[in-house]
Amino acid sequence: MTSYSKEVIADLVAGTLPWPQTRRIMSAYKDDDRFFKYVAVLQDRVGWKDPILLPVGDHLFICQSGEERVTKCECGHSFGDYRKNWKLNASIIVRDSEETLREIYPNSDLPDPDWMEIREFICPECGTLHEVEAAAPGYPIVHDFEPDLEGFYRDWLGKPLEPTNKGG
Amino acid sequence: MLDKPASALRIRERLIESERLMEETGCYDGITELHLRNQDPLKFETLHTKLRAYCVSAREMARRISASPGVREVGEMVVAIYTPEGDAIALSNGIMVHVHTMSRFIKWMIRNGYEENPRIRDGDIFANNDAFIGTVQVPDVMDVVPIFHSGKLVGWAGAVCHELEAGGITPGGDVALAQERFTEGLFVCAEKVGENDELRRDYVIRCERNLRMPIYWVLDEKAKVASCIDMRESVKALIDEIGLDYWMQVSKEFIEEGRRAQLARTRQLTVPGIYRGHTFYGHVTAGKPGYQPLGDPDWLYNMPIEMEIRSDGKIIMDFEGTQPWGYHSMNCTPAGMDGGMFVTLTQHMNFEGLVNDGAWMATELKLPHGTWTNPDNEMVATATSWALLLPAYGVFQRLLSRSFIARGFVEEAFVGQVNSPMIEMGGTSQYGTPFGMAHFECAAAGSGALAIKDGLDTAYVGWNPESDMGNIEIWEQNMPMLYIGRSIVPNSGGAGKYRGGCSFLSTWLVSKTDHLRLVTSEHSSRVFDNGGLCGGYPAPTCQKHRAVRDSNIFELAEKGAPLAHHTGTNPYRSELEVRLEGQHVTMEGPYITAPHKTGDVFTHSYNGGGGYGDVLERDPVKTAWDVENGFLTRQAAEGIFGIVLDEDEEGFPVANLDATERHRADMRAKRLARARPVSEWIAKERERVKAADFAPEVKKMYASAIKLSPRFTKDFSTFWDVDAKSTFGVE
Repeated sequence: MTSYSKEVIADLVAGTLPWPQTRRIMSAYKDDDRFFKYVAVLQDRVGWKDPILLPVGDHLFICQSGEERVTKCECGHSFGDYRKNWKLNASIIVRDSEETLREIYPNSDLPDPDWMEIREFICPECGTLHEVEAAAPGYPIVHDFEPDLEGFYRDWLGKPLEPTNKGG
Repeated sequence: MLDKPASALRIRERLIESERLMEETGCYDGITELHLRNQDPLKFETLHTKLRAYCVSAREMARRISASPGVREVGEMVVAIYTPEGDAIALSNGIMVHVHTMSRFIKWMIRNGYEENPRIRDGDIFANNDAFIGTVQVPDVMDVVPIFHSGKLVGWAGAVCHELEAGGITPGGDVALAQERFTEGLFVCAEKVGENDELRRDYVIRCERNLRMPIYWVLDEKAKVASCIDMRESVKALIDEIGLDYWMQVSKEFIEEGRRAQLARTRQLTVPGIYRGHTFYGHVTAGKPGYQPLGDPDWLYNMPIEMEIRSDGKIIMDFEGTQPWGYHSMNCTPAGMDGGMFVTLTQHMNFEGLVNDGAWMATELKLPHGTWTNPDNEMVATATSWALLLPAYGVFQRLLSRSFIARGFVEEAFVGQVNSPMIEMGGTSQYGTPFGMAHFECAAAGSGALAIKDGLDTAYVGWNPESDMGNIEIWEQNMPMLYIGRSIVPNSGGAGKYRGGCSFLSTWLVSKTDHLRLVTSEHSSRVFDNGGLCGGYPAPTCQKHRAVRDSNIFELAEKGAPLAHHTGTNPYRSELEVRLEGQHVTMEGPYITAPHKTGDVFTHSYNGGGGYGDVLERDPVKTAWDVENGFLTRQAAEGIFGIVLDEDEEGFPVANLDATERHRADMRAKRLARARPVSEWIAKERERVKAADFAPEVKKMYASAIKLSPRFTKDFSTFWDVDAKSTFGVE
């Protein structure tokens, strides 16, 4: 069975693994023990102790926080119950004018702000840009991902989560 | 009665039985056990590898018969081997989108009584380019031949080429101006076009008399027939070796194993749950010549996608909430939607092991009737269905990628494909002859970023993983235009920790013709039709066309003065305007205009891919390299990514890491100061929604989605706490 060390996974996740090695990993049969090594790498990276249950973005994690399961930023800021859309508790910058779009697209033609805007969802604590939506004005904010967290641990990983009273 | 199939049942009854068995057992054709695989796994794998080798070798041989630079240079071809019921067993590389569309074509003939009339016999050749029977768009012409062994139907060999000219209302194959089926070009509707391994002369004459450049289509036909015969003979020889009974069983086990492998792969690489995303497409035709007033001239399309990954590993994609079909050529048939799913899966999840129709069977598409994904009118045009397909399956790639990131397979996460603005042309060639052609250098867009590195620059398209822009010299042989530039477009990848791949722009001098019609399609200039992931930005919208009629380029050349080789980086004044005199044209959306002639200059640019991650985390050293090599500008490095660049002794950019850190801290603080709580924004925006204070095209988009989709109506009403129907005046 294919397997890699935690150090290799850490470098892969950080984007620092040399390309020939990365390319070999991409071409090889996948390592079935990846998930928990990956979570361990991420757990080492964050500055808090709540166990990570599932990464849902580059710096966003569902974690067990006491009795609750919440979506957390890498800085430790909690966006609340993981079953709810974390974006609704984020901060936002909306680019809906030529001037603000031009900041990101300095030399290209721009979309028409009457037809389309850019929404940046930001951690209110550390300012990390977690997600960008390009949407027509008035389009509801998307709830990107509703994982079947318990089913995943129970049926796919074979390690059921401890029951919890709150937060799923 | 025709030659009998291998089963005692006739093939139509066999197809129905096969589907019933799948329904009853959940396994392909009722294959609940992989007996032959278990009996001798090595023989099993060796046989599939052989079949795949037959396909790859047949395609390579056929490409050398073709006269089309699309097939020869860019590889716009795929071939595959099918069961008698029309399910793909093995396929070549190339435009794999068509493996399943050909399957639909074969099944359509079986269901429609082709056994009785026109009959299915050894040596017959059947062709099709009707998307409602089984293809994506009119230029995708497919040929299949039955494989008989011992007088019995034992399979099919099939091949598809994308034709560079289809004889539609505008030259090329992606017929931009088609608003109904009747202007799309030459249709061959599941037709028997040859017997005894030879194309019928009357069919060839029809092609010769209905196409602007028949040499492409006709020689592609011969290439496809040659590849089919090659595969057929290989399969027959293989059956001689392994026996007919073994073949009939093993071919089904290959497909069932493919289905199981797809489910297992999903369980291995992803996380179950519901994933959502969307993208948009803006089609602008107001005031353009040639469009019939059959509907509103400008459209805004929303493409919301909900993907469910079930605990058994099945992937279900639902397009509910999207827009209705329209009087344009961007509609898509279920066959095309299947094709998009298939080609995406083969790239993302089936890059090892068995790739065949089994993978498709482990997925399900929900295509709402009456939408562009499943029109309830078979007269609609589909010639540019890629315009909507590519953005939609770019969303699928981002949804899958989120699941890979959640599971830890970050090396597979990929922000996805983008649209491919196509340039096509016709008129009088540089040789003084009539001509028509689609230019296929679009097969080399920028890709979306990965979760661990930048996207590919000018080296990826969604429909053909074997991306290639073709050599300039080859294209110049086939059109009355000379390249005066083919350049990377700086900042054309979406910004992010990892940027999207950059696009390129071609600049041409029209040469040796007094009548060159240029037509373009697949332009979403008014809205982004791509996206970023995890904080990355979308790549820029499709760029406008810039042209100069009656330019003074020959005078400049004579004087040895500088020419314009690209449009430059000033969005308000292009290099063409700086360097050239003449009648300057800037046009948004499809380029449909009066013919060009010698001395005119024309530019066409392609799309870059979306970015991944927060821009303020981008590597300064890599960025300096990007600036040095023209992928990013200094302005972008500092303004978007917060990277301060100095110059070394030779004037090359080098990252100033301390200054970068300070600048980024300042940018982050400004970002936080500028942001406001989402709840505040929603409260304010709700007032705008209640008043439906939107552009007419935006309002129309909402009204159309609400009319077609109860779920969209409910979601919109719940999110904004409004009555969506009354807000947009929907009964």
